[in-house]
Amino acid sequence: MTAQITKPVPVPGTETSLPGPAPSRLRALLPGPSAGANGAAMYRRWWLPWLWTAPAIVCAVVFGVFPFLNTVLLSFTNAKPLGGAASFVGLDNYTRMLDDSDFWLATRNSILYAVIVVPLMVLLPLMLAVLVEKNLPGIGFFRSAFYTPVLASSVVVGLSWQWLLADDGLVNTWLEKAHLIRSAIPFLSDSWLILLSAMGLTLWKGLGWYMVFYLAALGNVPKELHEAAQMDGAGAVRRFWHITIPGVRQAMMLVGTLTGIGSLRVFTEIYMLGSSTGGPGGADRTLPFYIRDVGLDPITGNAGYGSAVSVALFALTLGLTLLAQRLTKEDES
Amino acid sequence: MRAKRLTGSLACLVVLTLTAAGCGLSGGGSGDGDATAGGCKVDKGNVGTGKLSGEVKGKITFQTTNLKKDFGDFFNGVIADFEKAHPGTEVKWIDDPGDNTFTTRTVADAQACTLADVINVNAPTATALTKAGYLLDVGTKDPAASKPFVPSFWKTAVFKDGDGKAIHTALPWYTGGVVLTYNKDLLKKAGVDPAKPPTTLFGLFADYEKVAKAGDGKFYATMANPVWRIPSDFDQMGIKILSDDGKSAVFADDPRTAQWVAWMAKLYKAGAMPKDSLSSSNDPSTLYSQGKVAYGSTNPSFVRFVKQNSPSIYDKTAVGQQPYDALGRASAGAPQYISVAATSKNAPTALSFAEFLTNAENQTAWCKDPNVVIFPTTTDSLNDPFFQNATGSDPFSQARKLVADQLKTASTNQTNLSPAVQNAMVAQVQLAMQGKKSPEQAVKDAQEKANELLKQAG
Repeated sequence: MTAQITKPVPVPGTETSLPGPAPSRLRALLPGPSAGANGAAMYRRWWLPWLWTAPAIVCAVVFGVFPFLNTVLLSFTNAKPLGGAASFVGLDNYTRMLDDSDFWLATRNSILYAVIVVPLMVLLPLMLAVLVEKNLPGIGFFRSAFYTPVLASSVVVGLSWQWLLADDGLVNTWLEKAHLIRSAIPFLSDSWLILLSAMGLTLWKGLGWYMVFYLAALGNVPKELHEAAQMDGAGAVRRFWHITIPGVRQAMMLVGTLTGIGSLRVFTEIYMLGSSTGGPGGADRTLPFYIRDVGLDPITGNAGYGSAVSVALFALTLGLTLLAQRLTKEDES
Repeated sequence: MRAKRLTGSLACLVVLTLTAAGCGLSGGGSGDGDATAGGCKVDKGNVGTGKLSGEVKGKITFQTTNLKKDFGDFFNGVIADFEKAHPGTEVKWIDDPGDNTFTTRTVADAQACTLADVINVNAPTATALTKAGYLLDVGTKDPAASKPFVPSFWKTAVFKDGDGKAIHTALPWYTGGVVLTYNKDLLKKAGVDPAKPPTTLFGLFADYEKVAKAGDGKFYATMANPVWRIPSDFDQMGIKILSDDGKSAVFADDPRTAQWVAWMAKLYKAGAMPKDSLSSSNDPSTLYSQGKVAYGSTNPSFVRFVKQNSPSIYDKTAVGQQPYDALGRASAGAPQYISVAATSKNAPTALSFAEFLTNAENQTAWCKDPNVVIFPTTTDSLNDPFFQNATGSDPFSQARKLVADQLKTASTNQTNLSPAVQNAMVAQVQLAMQGKKSPEQAVKDAQEKANELLKQAG
């Protein structure tokens, strides 16, 4: 026996793209006009869209809105990670932050990370995607090889980089054998080099992921444009700048935004290369690293202060994202 | 109309969210009952001064850290024995992977009032949970709980509650022991006599310096990261790290702290340690097994690691006594503990199981397992011939014998530093080792940073 289907009655002035007709069994469960009456009215219940979107809204509230608002509220308290009585301390946490040299050092490192990593992460995967886009024999191997770091865990990648960058590691050994250096470059003991090495690690691990983004975007760039430009004598570089880049602009914007957010949240790379202190003297700590130190320690942590630093990190992320959007719009206009 | 309804709905959403967020401030759990522990409503008998009473019956959960893979049969046997001895009980075993988010997960469980009834904890986790009131005061709830344990180990199981009062919230379980391990060949090359081990840490540092000179960059004495030495070196030297109430750092007041930092800086500069190990998380295992480091880890299980992974280096390995220094006796290292959650719905059963698990019979049985190199904390277990009559002249047997001999009198009072305070101290020492600060300034700054963290903890 098939379910009885009833056509919705068109109502003047309403959208015709209403959801398709519902089985009568479902309709029987819903309040409102009974089957056979004005069925479309059922879909105009004000709460119906909320009902359909409720699972998504609940997830967003529980895992996004609530933690965010809770963090903002906590930032005005002296709450402890293990709970217990917390009292409001007004703007004390924010005042303390302004005078905290370790906070500013972590902020500098996070901004530096974003400023260096984002442009490279926007351009390098695009160039890589252009290289592997063509269907040449064996190109699948290279696509897979470039993607492999994405699949490896950050800890495994971090350990591999430790071996590569050690004083007697592969990189220093090669450089010494090539007579390019006399003594080992202190990749893992100089705070600046640790920070740059961590950036390299982030780039290497992310290249394959964003390469796939660009491969999808490149598929939407009309081939005819390239052919026409080629016939007009445009070289590969010129076509890249004037056809490929404008064609994937939206993807670049997306990659820039995602990379910017990811760069400001970096933790594992610094931990793997700089250990639990975040480099010698803690000089390589980023904002998430600093939040862990001051806010999450179960014995001496201050969740209130950690939350205040988290709010600052959010503001920084939002600010840089809006700035990037504005710059892109100005560029487009 | 529609806009009004939308506004109303959003307002409801925001109010609900804010209400929920407000709840978060209380630290989780409901607290309107007569008895609370860490913000959670608990049975009255779980808190206060009275002895715990009640029937040993019903279900409990038991959480260990990464033990199921290697010791599943042993623990399933212990659980079966307990359930047989106490009909009507059921123990559900949870094995946490024990990765670097273990403490975070445990904290989240505690806040949600869902801590396992019986839980394996280390000293920092026990410190945090006791301070917040999440662990049962086993010393009060069972006044006879201390009987099986070596007194010094029982003494270590004291942690401070939220009011600063010292209470026993853990039962000592097992320890790794501390020995000096070294490569005889490399020491000979450096002119260090392995038969005359130093009696002080500075004496050991002097030997490191000789190794640095002989090694000349080809081999080293030890690893550089001070995280392996703080706070254990300070404890061994008798340097007081924290004030009596644990609320402020005082290590800078002892001139030997700056001397210790000066030694570390001198050794790093002299090449006694690989330069790239200053802020590396690598312990000496790998380099020692390659014959590039003269002194190995101070844990007897390290000797077994070398035996299994680098037989040629194992042949050159010997063990000796870690310097007693000002402490005047060996250190047993930080033991592992078993605690009972104050939030347990079945505390009598949980406490009974915790005592059963840590009794002499079960400790001895586990420590005899050939897959593990650990030592028991009960007096009867240490008197077992397995530990007292250890034979064999190979380094591994010697390490076991040495530690078993030490444990009855060993010091076990390692200072419990929070990871953040330890990192703050280590970071300043690293700067001194790089020559960016004088030892005195580094010690002063380390104390300031530590005090900032201790102050915010309240």
